[in-house]
Amino acid sequence: VTTPDFGAEFIDEYFAECDEHLVAVRHALLTVESTLASGRVDPAAIEQLFRSMHSIKGLSGMVELRDAELLAHELESRLRDLRDGNARWSPAALDALALAMRTLEAVIGARREQRLGPDITPAVSRLRTPDASSAAHDDAGGPRAAASSHARPAPHRRRWRFTYAPTADTAGRHVNVNVIRERLLGIGEIEQATPHVPPGGGIVFEFVVATDADTSVFAPWVDDGVTWDTVDDAPAQPSVEVAAHAAASAVAPSHLVRVDLARLDDLMRIVGGLVITRARLSDHLGRLEPRLAASEWRGVQESVGALERQLRDLREAVMRVRMVPVGEVFHRMRFVVRDLAREAGRHVHMEMQGEGTHIDKFVIERMLDPLLHLVRNAVSHGLEPAAERRAKGKPEEGRLALRASTAGDVVVIVVEDDGRGVNRAAVVESARAGGLAVPEGPIDDAQLLELICSPGFSTRKEADLASGRGVGMAVVRRTVLEMGGSLMLETEPDRGTRFTIQLPLTLAITDALITTVGDRTFAVPQAAVREVMEVEAASVRQLENNEVITYRDGVLPVLRLARAFGLPETARATFHAFVIGQGASRVAVLVDRIVGQREIVVRTFSEALIKVPGVGGATELGDGRVVLILDAGTLVRRGRERSIA
Amino acid sequence: MVAASLRPLGDVSFVEAATGLEAVEHLAMAETAMMVLDLNMPDMHGLDVLRFVRRHPLYRTLPVIVLTTRDDPGSERASIEAGATMYLTKPFAPDALAAHARSVLAVATR
Repeated sequence: VTTPDFGAEFIDEYFAECDEHLVAVRHALLTVESTLASGRVDPAAIEQLFRSMHSIKGLSGMVELRDAELLAHELESRLRDLRDGNARWSPAALDALALAMRTLEAVIGARREQRLGPDITPAVSRLRTPDASSAAHDDAGGPRAAASSHARPAPHRRRWRFTYAPTADTAGRHVNVNVIRERLLGIGEIEQATPHVPPGGGIVFEFVVATDADTSVFAPWVDDGVTWDTVDDAPAQPSVEVAAHAAASAVAPSHLVRVDLARLDDLMRIVGGLVITRARLSDHLGRLEPRLAASEWRGVQESVGALERQLRDLREAVMRVRMVPVGEVFHRMRFVVRDLAREAGRHVHMEMQGEGTHIDKFVIERMLDPLLHLVRNAVSHGLEPAAERRAKGKPEEGRLALRASTAGDVVVIVVEDDGRGVNRAAVVESARAGGLAVPEGPIDDAQLLELICSPGFSTRKEADLASGRGVGMAVVRRTVLEMGGSLMLETEPDRGTRFTIQLPLTLAITDALITTVGDRTFAVPQAAVREVMEVEAASVRQLENNEVITYRDGVLPVLRLARAFGLPETARATFHAFVIGQGASRVAVLVDRIVGQREIVVRTFSEALIKVPGVGGATELGDGRVVLILDAGTLVRRGRERSIA
Repeated sequence: MVAASLRPLGDVSFVEAATGLEAVEHLAMAETAMMVLDLNMPDMHGLDVLRFVRRHPLYRTLPVIVLTTRDDPGSERASIEAGATMYLTKPFAPDALAAHARSVLAVATR
């Protein structure tokens, strides 16, 4: 459940995101306008406008900026009509869009400066009836040129600077600034209206107007104190110019700085380099210790200790900079759900928890599509229609919960619905039909997840979804694993489905356990390790063709790391093991020894050739040795496969 | 309504402006002793009018009472920062406005 002041908390984020969308909107509008002039419509640009409006609508709803939400909604509807051919493109339609977008910017800008925004009704009514509105200008007595300017297909717009200096004479004839303004509105768009006090006092008004009317239209206004000159000779793209101007004025002081993620990556890499250098320093000092007097050594130790703490603080500070609240993504989901529910005719009650949980920006960006997929699945296929729910004795309103929480170094995200649950029989059937190996007998949740995440798996439903988003469960799992996370499924017929995603807080630097197998050293990200234990060789039992150990009240499949990587196995009386995976998919990985814990800098392999299953990357230890980082997700799967096979 | 409640001030004339630009125009066209300014106006926001007024030496000391419907601390702070002499919200008691106006004028002419 969201707190009421959630909007206030994210307001700066809101402005930043709106800025991005408005930049995209300006670009798209420019493209639309220029292609329209040559008689075409650019579908990509329309789509961009459509998407941006949709996002701004959602974002504005979040911060309860109703005018912006309403305006974006109107724009979205209008764009949909235009896109779907239910409305005709015309210069008037384009003008209406431009006016509405300008107003939208002004509304957002006003909120940023904490002042009242402009009235949005003119923009909305013009959007709804763009042609009627331009006709209304004529009826109001505007110059005839106005009508023809709107009807002409390729506008030869120019920008003019009109200057109006009121005098006692003009005032006597009831000509005032409002009258002049109306006239200018009749011939084009006013981009700017500013009063100036000329050197001797008095007042002049300067209007920058984009118009395709020519001087013959406004020549008679000289008598009313109006003069003009051109602002530039280039044909103007009026709406875009306008938008750019509005944006400039909307730039208000803010306490936020937007930084390219790549720069933060650089920063993180530098910190990573420092971490390694510090580890080297420690190694060198270790060798020097016997040669130093105790008093000297203490001093060195203290400095190194301080360096280590400061480095950790630095690392955490850099990490914090990269952290964003999960709530941003959750709230995007809310609008997806709203639309989906409407389309699918479902009543959905959405619950959110832990929106304030922070996670690495990179991680959550990558997770956006997978989360969308899970949410879409839940609404479209998990939750039943109201009638079906009523028949089952459930409340008509389906429940969808998004929860986030932090547990140590990991962030846990849960997507849960109280729908019909995953249909095991249907999954098994279509998996077999698709030629996938399916174990005999009843399958558990982990096996079910395995099946629906198989690249070859598709039910008709799944295909529908994939065509909608281009993301299937296979991609969901792959992304989670690539992030060094894990995915778990729990489902029960008619009770619902729960996906639990565990993700590392951040990727670049992490704490790891250092383990050895024979003469090899490996690092295991600590976030993935649930438990560490000692295992007596004799306690490893053979169960069918799998090895298991007794673990609490059950058994746990065993994966010998040496065997998994084809390394020589050493005979030992005791092994160390670490438990990875969650729920039913836990696996104990057997290594010779767990030798310690270290801060490691993760370097991922970018070349496909050196991508080895089970290895997530490499890191450099203090002594300069490069060790491989185990990829827990893949190991879990291999452990499970062995136990299934 | 505003003009009516200021009538007790005595021998003064009122000029009403429908828009921000018009307000500025009137300001320049006739000697003005005081301005009562609404924030929410078409074409030039009240705050912009106020900032314009304060930027120009001729009007820098002009008493400006901001009278607006919105009772939110944001617009009050913004108005005061922009140089409003006084900030009042609608609905207002007519005699209170007159009293405020009188005191503002008294300070201004001292």
